[in-house]
Amino acid sequence: MHKSLKKYFPVFILPVVAAFAIAFAVPFLVGIYLSFTHFRTVDSSEWVGLANYIRVFTQDETFLNSLWLTVKFTAVSIISVNVIAFSIALLLTKGLKGTDFFRTVFFMPNLIGGIVLGHIWSLIINGILGIFGVDITYNPSYGFWGLVVLMNWQMIGYMMIIYIAGLQNIPAHIHEAAAIDGASSSRELFGITIPMVMPSITICTFLTLTNSFKLFDQNLALNGKSADTSLLALDIYKTFYDHTGLRLAEWHGMGQAKAVIFFLLAAAIAFVQLRVTSRKEIKH
Amino acid sequence: MASIKFKNVIKSFDDGKVTVIPDLSFEIKDKEFVVLVGPSGCGKSTTLRMIAGLEDVSGGELYIDDKKVNNIAPKDRDIAMVFQSYALYPHMSVYKNMAFALKLRKMPKKEIDEKVRWAASILNIEPYLDRRPGALSGGQRQRVALGRAMVRNPKVFLLDEPLSNLDAKLRTEMRSQITMLHKRLQTTFVYVTHDQTEAMTMADRIAVMDKGVIRQYDTPQKLYSEPADMFVAGFIGSPRMNFIDCTVIRKGKIFYVEFSGEMMRIPSAKAKNLASYENRRVILGIRPEHITEHTGGEIAEENCVITAKAEIAEMTGGEVNVYFDVGSRRCIARIRTDRKIASGETVRLLFDCNTAHFFDKDTSKAIGTV
Amino acid sequence: MKSKSRKNNATVYAVLFLLTALFISPVFIVLMNSFKGNFFISDEPFSLPVGEKFAGFDNFIKGFTQSDFLSAFVNSLLITVISVAGIVLLTSMAAWYIVRVGNRFTKLLYYLFTFSMIVPFQMVMYTVTYLAFELNLNSISGIVFIYLGFGSGLSVFMFSGFIKSIPTEIEEAAVIDGCDPIRTFFMIVFPILRPTAITVAILNAMWVWNDYLLPYLVLGSGEKRTLPVAVQMALTGGYGNKDMGALMAMLVLAIVPIIVFYLFCQKYIIKGVVAGAVKG
Repeated sequence: MHKSLKKYFPVFILPVVAAFAIAFAVPFLVGIYLSFTHFRTVDSSEWVGLANYIRVFTQDETFLNSLWLTVKFTAVSIISVNVIAFSIALLLTKGLKGTDFFRTVFFMPNLIGGIVLGHIWSLIINGILGIFGVDITYNPSYGFWGLVVLMNWQMIGYMMIIYIAGLQNIPAHIHEAAAIDGASSSRELFGITIPMVMPSITICTFLTLTNSFKLFDQNLALNGKSADTSLLALDIYKTFYDHTGLRLAEWHGMGQAKAVIFFLLAAAIAFVQLRVTSRKEIKH
Repeated sequence: MASIKFKNVIKSFDDGKVTVIPDLSFEIKDKEFVVLVGPSGCGKSTTLRMIAGLEDVSGGELYIDDKKVNNIAPKDRDIAMVFQSYALYPHMSVYKNMAFALKLRKMPKKEIDEKVRWAASILNIEPYLDRRPGALSGGQRQRVALGRAMVRNPKVFLLDEPLSNLDAKLRTEMRSQITMLHKRLQTTFVYVTHDQTEAMTMADRIAVMDKGVIRQYDTPQKLYSEPADMFVAGFIGSPRMNFIDCTVIRKGKIFYVEFSGEMMRIPSAKAKNLASYENRRVILGIRPEHITEHTGGEIAEENCVITAKAEIAEMTGGEVNVYFDVGSRRCIARIRTDRKIASGETVRLLFDCNTAHFFDKDTSKAIGTV
Repeated sequence: MKSKSRKNNATVYAVLFLLTALFISPVFIVLMNSFKGNFFISDEPFSLPVGEKFAGFDNFIKGFTQSDFLSAFVNSLLITVISVAGIVLLTSMAAWYIVRVGNRFTKLLYYLFTFSMIVPFQMVMYTVTYLAFELNLNSISGIVFIYLGFGSGLSVFMFSGFIKSIPTEIEEAAVIDGCDPIRTFFMIVFPILRPTAITVAILNAMWVWNDYLLPYLVLGSGEKRTLPVAVQMALTGGYGNKDMGALMAMLVLAIVPIIVFYLFCQKYIIKGVVAGAVKG
């Protein structure tokens, strides 16, 4: 059968392979090449070696700022999203009535797209700041914390669902044993519940990590107008598209170099995640 | 009418790097129930799958009804197959599972319905026709799998370990049902199993396979009474045959076999085959059920009695399995007795040379059979 | 003991209702403002649409007509439906081929697909846009093709994982019953893949429907624009002067279909999203 299946290559796999090559593989490889060039468009590239990379780290004003901001943002999001989501999950696994309703409400923001989300929060935050006669562009920290609040609003419900699933997987007899042993509720939380949901915690941490790290739409909609609150993805976008004129080829080269660095960082995160999760699997 | 013929068939994987069947030739007659039996990895399933067309034949020729089928697609071979995991389509009802192949062959609806109901009534699965396989028990699923094969009315039925996922009681029940089915359908059955009991109870002929080679292909009775080599002798029968090192000795015109300090006379019919083994070591094979307890009386010349310690004695109802050592060989005797034999007890065991088998120590082939 | 737990429950409920209010309020505020006159939106964003502030459905009518909301909505719907259908169908076929053929070539493909999951869009942003224009893929059908290529990583990965767990015997039974590979796939394998297909469909639908950057770069903000692009253009003043009332109405119109969809398919969505998270 496998032999006859092989002949069906054009039917089963060719469309996807063609689309994958055009939408991903070719652009990816060309992208790596272009990061070593100056180019106005793809067909007018000029080899410059490592110049773009050197410039990104030495002369560019925005990249290191964005990198630092992304790291800060990611760290704050991981902690706040997961702590709140886990706490809500604890409340919703006590067997109270109406749990499904709360779950539905808390998950809802996750489905709204980043652009729409960003504008909703832009309205609210500017509304509040308007009382003091300023807006979100007035101080970079307003933009930063606004983005953190938005991220929490969007991600908490999602992580909550995963934590609920994890909590429900703990066998009831373990809690009963703890009650018989006379464990206090905080002892039970830190000694039993948290270690038992460690796999969920790992998943959620990495999900928040990658989502915060690659955040773009929300950032564009909420902070698009203020320069100093661009995370990495938005900074790359601006490097490409916010410039015109004679030095465009240099900006493009630098944007592509930033993109490669961004990719390498994302790949490093994925690699660490793979190591962490596969180590866990061996233990089980 | 369907016979199957293997002519020097070779099967290898990974572009010839791994050969699982080096050279296979045998024939299955029309309406015969043939069981392919052997330990896992012996090539029995591969052989069956070559008949089905699920595996290509790497060399040689395979015939169904004198028609070479090497390059014929499974669907055109007029075969049906029952799989170990039943392989029912989980998203279809029992009825649709059974009707599927007929629908693909564009059989009229009315005819399909007749066939499905006919098979369902024979197999007692009529009440479940609207259910999905997931809602059935293992035994019911097995019957649906049989039904799916039956409606096709194929020339050949292929069954790949169909009972190994069932519990012991169901297995015995299904065994007789499959035998009944074979009688009723009057077609060729090829059945693969690793369980020698299934093979012995169901088959017209059994092919015992090991490492891609058929060691013996014969009726169950012949395999039991005249095993061709130590592999077959050990594989058929439970508990397995005891193998004891011994020496052939001649005293005048009479041959004796000596082991563990005891001698017994070799019956004249067997002796002529053993003549060339004089003063050589051979393997004596004796089945556990052929060893009896000696409770007194005269010992015939062709018998011998050894005194052994019952290392373990297992009661199994009317019989006791006694484990004892001959030299360094652990042996089993299956003794019919009403008496309780305790572990550690000393027993006197009677060996009868008339029931013994002899094997060449180097080739492991039975001495005397060709 | 009992009264204590009842008191505890009351506290838990109080916390949960407070959180509910916090979670709903952003959407509620937008909804509220969509019924207010222009002037009151920027000056009193948190007041109720009552009395002179109430503007009826004016904003919705303006929002609908001014930005040609309907055409953006239809574009988004078309792109999402066709992309998702294409991705589910074609990537499940590809995944089956990859798993069942299982030679060196398909293994390499599998690794490439998996690899593509970790690459951020910005890495190929410029080049894929260039290629889209060069190959005349800057159309609705063109972007569907790009989504197929871009979405194939996760989808092939998820389908492959499930296909590996289907016993090959079922497919062999189909072959013996008379199926060729195409029938085996469509009559046997694809129906078995249904749960994964739903998950893959939901994950891709959420991504394509909400995606902004790719359609903005490839289709632009003209007549081929999608809903997120229209929203972004409108709210950043891309269409000239800002009519706050119309913008609020647009936000509401953009959210409502998602919430309706969510309420109807909640079970599948939550399951699908979680399955996607755990696997991806």
